[in-house]
Order: sequence, then structure tokens, then C-alpha cells
Amino acid sequence: MSGNTEEVKKPDTREARIGVFVCHCGSNIAGVLDCEALTKYATTLPPVVYAKDNLYTCSEAGIAEIKGAIEEHGLTRVVVASCSPRTHLPLFKSACAEAGLNPYLFEMANIRDQCSWVHMQEKGLAQEKAMDLIRMAVAKATYLEPQQDIESSLVRKALVIGGGVAGLSAAGAMADMGVDVVLVEKEPQLGGLLRRINRLAPRGESASELVQDLVKQVRSKTRLKTMLESEVAAVGGVIGNYEVTIRDHKGTETQEVVGCIVVATGARPLQPDGQFGYNGRNVVTQIELEEKLRNGSFAAQHVVMIQCVGARCPERTYCSRICCLTAVKNALYIRERNPDAQVHILYRDIQMYGVENERILWESRGKGVRFDVYDVERPPVIQEDLVQVYQPLVGEVEEIPYDLVVLSTPLVAPEKAAALANLMRLPLDQNNFFMEAHAKLRPLDFATDGIFLCGTARYPATVSEAQAQGLGAAARASTILFKDRLVTSALVSFITEQCDGCALCLDICPYYALQLEEYEEGNRIHKRVKSDNILCKGCGVCAATCPKGGVEVKGFTQKQLSAQVDAALEGI
Amino acid sequence: MNRDVLVIGGGIAGIQASLDLAEMGFMVHLVERLPSIGGKMSQLDKTFPTNDCAL
Amino acid sequence: MDVGRHPNIHLLAYAEVEKVEGEVGNFQVTVRQKPRYVDESKCTGCGTCAEKCPTVTSDIYNLGLGTAKSIYKYFAQGIPSAYTIDAVQCRNFQPGKKCGVCQKICQAGAIDYKQEEKILDVPVGAIIVATGYDLFDARKIPEYGYGRLPNVVTALEFERFLSASGPTHGHVYRPTDLALQASLPEMKKVYQKAEKALERFEKHFQMTSESFYLRYESGELRGKDEDYYQWAEAVQAYRQGKGELEALQERIDRIESAHRLAFIQCVGSRDLRFNKYCSGFCCMHAIKEATIAKEHDRDAQVYMLAMDIRAVGKGFEEYRNRGATESGIHYIRSRVAEISEDRDHTPIIWYEDTKERVVHHLPVDLVILSTACEPSAAGERLAELLAIELNEFGFFKTTPYPPLDTTRPGVFVCGCAHSPMDIPESVVQASCAAARAAQVLSGSATRRLAS
Repeated sequence: MSGNTEEVKKPDTREARIGVFVCHCGSNIAGVLDCEALTKYATTLPPVVYAKDNLYTCSEAGIAEIKGAIEEHGLTRVVVASCSPRTHLPLFKSACAEAGLNPYLFEMANIRDQCSWVHMQEKGLAQEKAMDLIRMAVAKATYLEPQQDIESSLVRKALVIGGGVAGLSAAGAMADMGVDVVLVEKEPQLGGLLRRINRLAPRGESASELVQDLVKQVRSKTRLKTMLESEVAAVGGVIGNYEVTIRDHKGTETQEVVGCIVVATGARPLQPDGQFGYNGRNVVTQIELEEKLRNGSFAAQHVVMIQCVGARCPERTYCSRICCLTAVKNALYIRERNPDAQVHILYRDIQMYGVENERILWESRGKGVRFDVYDVERPPVIQEDLVQVYQPLVGEVEEIPYDLVVLSTPLVAPEKAAALANLMRLPLDQNNFFMEAHAKLRPLDFATDGIFLCGTARYPATVSEAQAQGLGAAARASTILFKDRLVTSALVSFITEQCDGCALCLDICPYYALQLEEYEEGNRIHKRVKSDNILCKGCGVCAATCPKGGVEVKGFTQKQLSAQVDAALEGI
Repeated sequence: MNRDVLVIGGGIAGIQASLDLAEMGFMVHLVERLPSIGGKMSQLDKTFPTNDCAL
Repeated sequence: MDVGRHPNIHLLAYAEVEKVEGEVGNFQVTVRQKPRYVDESKCTGCGTCAEKCPTVTSDIYNLGLGTAKSIYKYFAQGIPSAYTIDAVQCRNFQPGKKCGVCQKICQAGAIDYKQEEKILDVPVGAIIVATGYDLFDARKIPEYGYGRLPNVVTALEFERFLSASGPTHGHVYRPTDLALQASLPEMKKVYQKAEKALERFEKHFQMTSESFYLRYESGELRGKDEDYYQWAEAVQAYRQGKGELEALQERIDRIESAHRLAFIQCVGSRDLRFNKYCSGFCCMHAIKEATIAKEHDRDAQVYMLAMDIRAVGKGFEEYRNRGATESGIHYIRSRVAEISEDRDHTPIIWYEDTKERVVHHLPVDLVILSTACEPSAAGERLAELLAIELNEFGFFKTTPYPPLDTTRPGVFVCGCAHSPMDIPESVVQASCAAARAAQVLSGSATRRLAS
């Protein structure tokens, strides 16, 4: 504004001076669309003051062009017509920021994934669509406003719920890395299911030794506070600052503020009441067998084990992963100590997956454990002293005498899982196991930021797998906890004056980001919705639901979207 | 103590390990023998059980 | 994508570890980065070089099922996105030959034939091995016919068939049918050449080939001109060529996609002759491929011949059940004895259905072998370099608790380099390895139970 030539005059961002960059993307776009024509077309649109096409906008050269054009032509908006924002949006936004333009004054037109790639056989129509897309992007860009990323603080502290293998591993690792940890366990001692197990598959180590070692490690860490006979009573707040209430068995409550939470609440073996004559005496479960083996009360001479009891059936469609190797492990243990004992395993598929497990299967066969397939349509029948089973591989019914039947039942979600899920608003799958963000690529994350999952709370797992998951969850949580501050997108919902507190939007928000608040004005109580910036992900469901225009999403306002729609219809 | 980490192999495991460590603040050197990263997973069409695109 | 951009990740692609000395907290690593002969910082990945390159090579990404050029990008979306020259194939690097087309055509001036390999010193505190796996060579089981019977492929090759970016753009055909289609252009060329030859004669003699040949056959023109003999030969060649071309075209027109598919499990796994262990993911992989194949082709009939079906992961048993109910997969508990073929190269599978206790033979269009996941061939050398031990299966030896520690402190293994596993397990192990490295570098001692 002053006459000083040293000062760079920043253009007023309320005025839209749009620069459009049309990408060839090699031949991905240019092979179908005429990019030069698109660039020319862009210049005919009123707010566009500069347009250029380039080979790869995401390359160093392309980025340099964007930055150069912003400075040279005083651009106040940038539109890149290229690929999906998922590919390079952050890169382009950084380019704008580096050139002094607010990164939220940037818009993209997807003329590749949504145009050239899918309309390769109809070049003429594809060209028209690309023109439409650019026109729409320019129209929206006109109404974009500068935004600031939302920054928040975080506490370098984690809560681990559950003190079994997974929880102990997660807690210990985070403490080692320099995170303060609170470990909450509902039982009077740590160790979870591991306390009830005799030996570990596939190598046969002592489970109690492992538990002792893990507990000792955890107790030795000064950053780790363990709270036994305690449960989580309430969870509020957001990632970086979760406010947790922990209640012990006496009813005393403690408040903690943590940055992240790890759910490691485990699972329990199913007790198959009413199935296969289960009685807990001579028809028992594998975990009950483990206890007999541990305390020396095992004395059977004729053992029949039945796999898939209560699993891979209509009530519980899943395979519990570990029961076959548990049965083989125990069978081997029995035979090794008493070569006269007969052990017979009846199975549907023998699930000795992976490298080491197959070996103990061979070993157990070599040591005289007998294996037979049974069909799910004709399961074994337990009678007074014998098990009757049709063997399809032989074509006959065999009668196997027994003094102990061991039923391999699946791990199921603990009763309290649903309550905890409700408390923390975490999803469960159809088997009541916690549901991770993505089955393949994010097995330890919840969709809710800052909360992680490990161990049998997620799905049946071996001790080794549970430990790996616990350590993995520790790493995942640390990717957040070691940041100085959290930065989240500015494109979140905001409440307008039109909101009258009808609260239609509250229940449909998938992130529980909306709340109703009351305020007084002019001697009357008014209601209005309030939105939490950090919980909100800007999905827009609220804006779509609101009948009054009381809530909108930044970067996707009514004005911006209307402009896009109008621009789209212009062509018709 | 040097706090950098070497990751040998740029398949899905190497990539995930590198990203976790990098986000935690460690400097990661990722060495991959082929001209680009991605490993066997980049040769898959879709992945089970969700049938998502592998890339 | 994220890896390429992350400020804390220094990506060294097309590189290998040469030497490792030192100890946890203080490793001195030497890395050799091979020359791409392309300047990564200049290359925009536009692909014009590959378009113009005259040297056609086998496409390793598509497992040799397609072709590539000697300047190539491993796959389209690869990071780094720069191209690479295969110096072994590129004619410019062969003695005596000169090409230089790519350098001439490159707008970014990124080609550098003089680029040299770089030796880099990379000091680190911890090392994570994530080198993956190799696949069992099914030719070691000659009775399955891989490498001899054209319509027997491996699961990874089938994956490339299913992929829209693969050599058949997602269509599943018998390789013999693909070969038929591929032979058409050559045969057309031969036919066109023969046609042109006739045209020359017709022009010279001002007569149609038909009328000439009639007269020649009747004896009228024999011996009158040496060229008549040539012409007659040419007519015969033309007619034969035309007949063959039409027959080929007819056969090609009748080609349908491969409807009957058979997946053979445990090829090289659970096999006392080769790998005794289970490869973990192949059952699910086959079910997935079968499901996708059915999506691509509603008429597909799919068989899966396996001993036990290992669907032990989250959601897997349900996926397997849907395979049967929605995709019609016939799961047959069996062991395949032999695969032969008939005159049409239709594979015939000989197996015993153990539940029926009957030996069957099953003709199908395409056999897919689920080959075993084996330790990477580079594993032995790497183990030596890193001074870590291998276990009896050839994978890197690790402790069970905590699970990824190798025999050398500060060196960890994850993913299929550790043992065969699927993607979610690899991702979990990767995060676990990151945690172990972070733990160790944060100063705490490595704790290991005696194994």
C-alpha cells in the first residue's frame, strides 16, 4: 500500500484471481483429453486470470510453476485440474503456502480418475466433462475463504485397558519409549488368560514363566502406573486430551488425562453348556484341561478332543484360530509324559497355519496322537463311555472309548466388552469383537483417532501374536504421542445463526462431535448446537440433514456448493 | 547412540515400519532393491477379505 | 505415496546393503545404489522414453506375461516415479551398438548414460529386515506340469491376469488361447505378403491369379516361362495362407474366457519333499482369486483342491463361506496326484476325493497352483552380512518373546521375511518392529527370554 518498492503487495484474497493448471499426467490425461484446449477454455472463465498446462503438475517443475505464477500474477486462488486430491492435495497445498497463499484457497478438478481414466472410449464426451469439471472447480474456488489448521496440545501419556499379554507388552513398550502409562486391570493380578495356560505352542515354554517375566518388566518401569481391580468408568475429551475416570473395586475414582488409549481387554473361552454333554468333570474345555495339566490333577488315559465346538457354526461363524494348535500342543504334552495315554483329535480342518505349527502336527502324529476328520453334518455323539463318530475318510462309524473328552471352544468377547464399547463409542463386529479401522491396512487402529486395539479383544490370537499386536499398538500410539502438537484440518463444521437447536443433527453425527447447549438471551432460554473442532471430521452429514441451514462445513458451504451446481448446469 | 533406523525392504512391512518410525520422530533409511517400492502387494489386484484395491 | 514425501524417510531405491559393522546403537552400514542412468531429480515420469525405446524386453512386474522396454518403470504408480534403464537389455550399453533415442527425446534432460553407482555410508542405531519372500518354483513338481503344460499357471501369474492393469486387462483366458490371438498378426503379415506377391505377378502379366492358375493347372502355360512356375507357387502359398488365416480367425472367434478354473493348494507347502510348513495365506488368496474370477465371469466354475482350508483370520471363515454360497466354489478335500492335458491343451487333474474315497479326473480350462511362500533367495547373503542366523526353514531366526528379535541385538525382522503371513499380520509385525527399534533406541536394554 505504501510507495515502498521493497514491500510485496499481497493481493486482497476477497477478490478471486484464479490460476488454473491443467495437468497432462504424461499420457494418463493427455492421451484422452486435449489439455491445451482445456487450458484455453479455462481462460474464458471470468475469474481466471492465468492458465497453463503442464506435463506433470506434481513434479518439481510443475510445483515451481504454480509458485511462480502465484507471485508473478498475484493469484488469490489456485485450481489444479489433474488427479484425485487423495494423490497430491497436501503437496499442492504446501506449494501454495510456500508462495504465500493460504493453502485452503486451493481447489482441484479430478479430470483423471473421474474423467480420462473412466471415459477412455468416449473422448468427445470426456472432453466436455472435463470442461464441466474445470468450470465447476473455478466456480467453487471463487467462494473459498482462507482457513487456519486447527492446532491442539497433547499429553504424552497413554491409558492401557487390560493387563494381559497384549496390554502388558503395549504398556511396557510405551514406557520404554518415554511415554507415561496408566495400566488398568480389572482382576487382582496381571497376566490375563496367560495365567490359566500350562505351556505355550508351538515350542512348549512355560506360560507362568513368561507371565512372571512380563509382569516383572512392567513393574520395573517408573513411568508405568498399574491399577489393579480397577475399571474404566467414563471417557470424555478428544485425542490428545482424553479425560478418563477410573474406578477401583472400593468405588474410589481417579481422574487421568491421557493422549491416547489402547484397548487390550482380551477374550474368554466359551463354556459350551448343553453341547456334547459338557459337564466340567469328564467333558471339559481346553482351558479346563490346561488347569488340570498345571495343577497335576490330570490323570486320564483315554482322551478324545473335539474341535470347532461352538465355532464355525450359525451362532458363531468364525474360526477361533488357536484351538487346533492348542489341542495339538496339549495332546503332545500328554503323550510325552505318558506314552500309554491315548489321545484322539476329531477335527473339520486342522488349522496349523504358518511355519512352526505344522511341525508339531507332524511331531504329534509321530508320537502317536490320532487324528480323524468329521463332517459338520454328522458331528461326534458323546455317550456314557464312548464317542461315536462317522469317519468319512474310512466310510464307517467308529466308537472311541474315553475317560476324558476335551471340547475345543472358541474365544468369545468378554461380557463387559459391549459396555466398554458403549462407553467409548467404539464399534463391535457381529461377533462382539472390537472392530478396527481397516481389516487389512490398519488392524491396530480404531476409526476414532487416538484409540488403538490389540490382542484377543480384536480377535483370537496366540500369545506371540498378541505380544506383537501389543507392541504394534504401542508404536501406533507413539506416532501421535511424540508430536509436539496435533494439527487437524480446518474443514470442519460450524454453526450458523440459523440454528434453532432442533438437534436433528446430533444423533446422525458418526463422530459424536455435536452437542446441544443452552444459553440465555433476552430472558429466554435458547438452544443451539455446538460442534467440537477436533472430533469433527467434516463429513457433512449434519449439513445435509439440517433443514434450516444451521450447520455447514467449511470448504463445502451452501454458497460454494451452489456455485458448483450452477456451473455444472450451465452446460445444459 | 545413533537414533536413525535402517529398514531393508520396501514392501508393505517395510513401508509400514518406516512410516511408524518416521511419525515417531526417527530418521529412517529405507533401502529397496527394485526400482520402486511396493513389493508383492503392488502385483496384487485385490486383497481379501474386503476385496479392496491393493494399491 | 506417504513414504516418498515424508521428511523423515530417506528413500534409497534400486539399492542394496553391502556391509554392516558395529553394534546396536552404532551400526555402520554401507549401501550401494545402482545407477538408473536416469537423474531422479529431473525425471518427471512422463514415459515418452519408454514409448520410443526400440528394445522390447520381458515385463518382470507382469512375471514375463507381458512386454516392457529396456527403459521402464516397474509399475505405473511406483515410487520413486523415475524411470530406470536396464543396462543388460539396453542396446546402448552393448559393445558396438549405439542408440541414444531416450536421451534425445527426453524433454527434462534426465537421461545420463554416464551415471555411476553410489556408495553411501548410512550410520544407524537399529536395523529392521523386511525383505519379504520368494515363491516356490513349481517346476520342481514335474507331475503338476508347470512350465510344460501351457494352461497351468501360478497364483501370482493369475493375479496379473485378473488385474485391470495386467497383460489381459482383467480377462481370464487360457494361455493357449492368448497365444492363438497373439499369433494372428504374424499370420496376417504372411498372408498380406503372399497377397502382395500375387499382385506383382498380376500386374506384370496383366491377368488375374485365378484365371492364370486355371490355365496353368490345365497344362496350358507350363514350361512357357520360369515366372509362371513362381507364380503358381505363389498362388498355392497364398491359398494355403488364406485358409490357415481363416481357420485361425475362426478359432479365435470361438475363444471364450477360461470358465473352468481349478486352484491347487499346498504346491510346495506341507510337502515333505520341499517345505514342510504351511504358507499361511494361500488358501485365502485362492478363495479371493476365485471370488474375483467369478465376478469377472458369471459362467465361471471354480474348484479348490485342498487338504485343510486355512481360513483362520478375522472375517476369513465368513469369506470362505461366501466363496461357496455366492461364488459357487467347490471345495474338495483332496490331494492332486498328477496334471496331464488332452490334445487341446485342456488340463486334466487326477486327484483323490478323500471324503468320497474315489479317484477322479477333472478337465478344466485353467489350473492355478498356489505355490509355497519361501525364504527370499537373498536371505542367506543378507544373514551373512548382518551376522544373524537363519532357522531350519531358511527364514531369519527369531526369539518367540518378544517375537521379532534376531540373534543380533538391534536387528529385527518383520513380515514374510520372518515367516509366511498375510497383509494384516505383516502390518502388525511392521508396527511391532518399529516399537522394538524405538524401545532399543530409547536406551532400554533388549530383554529376551531364553528360548
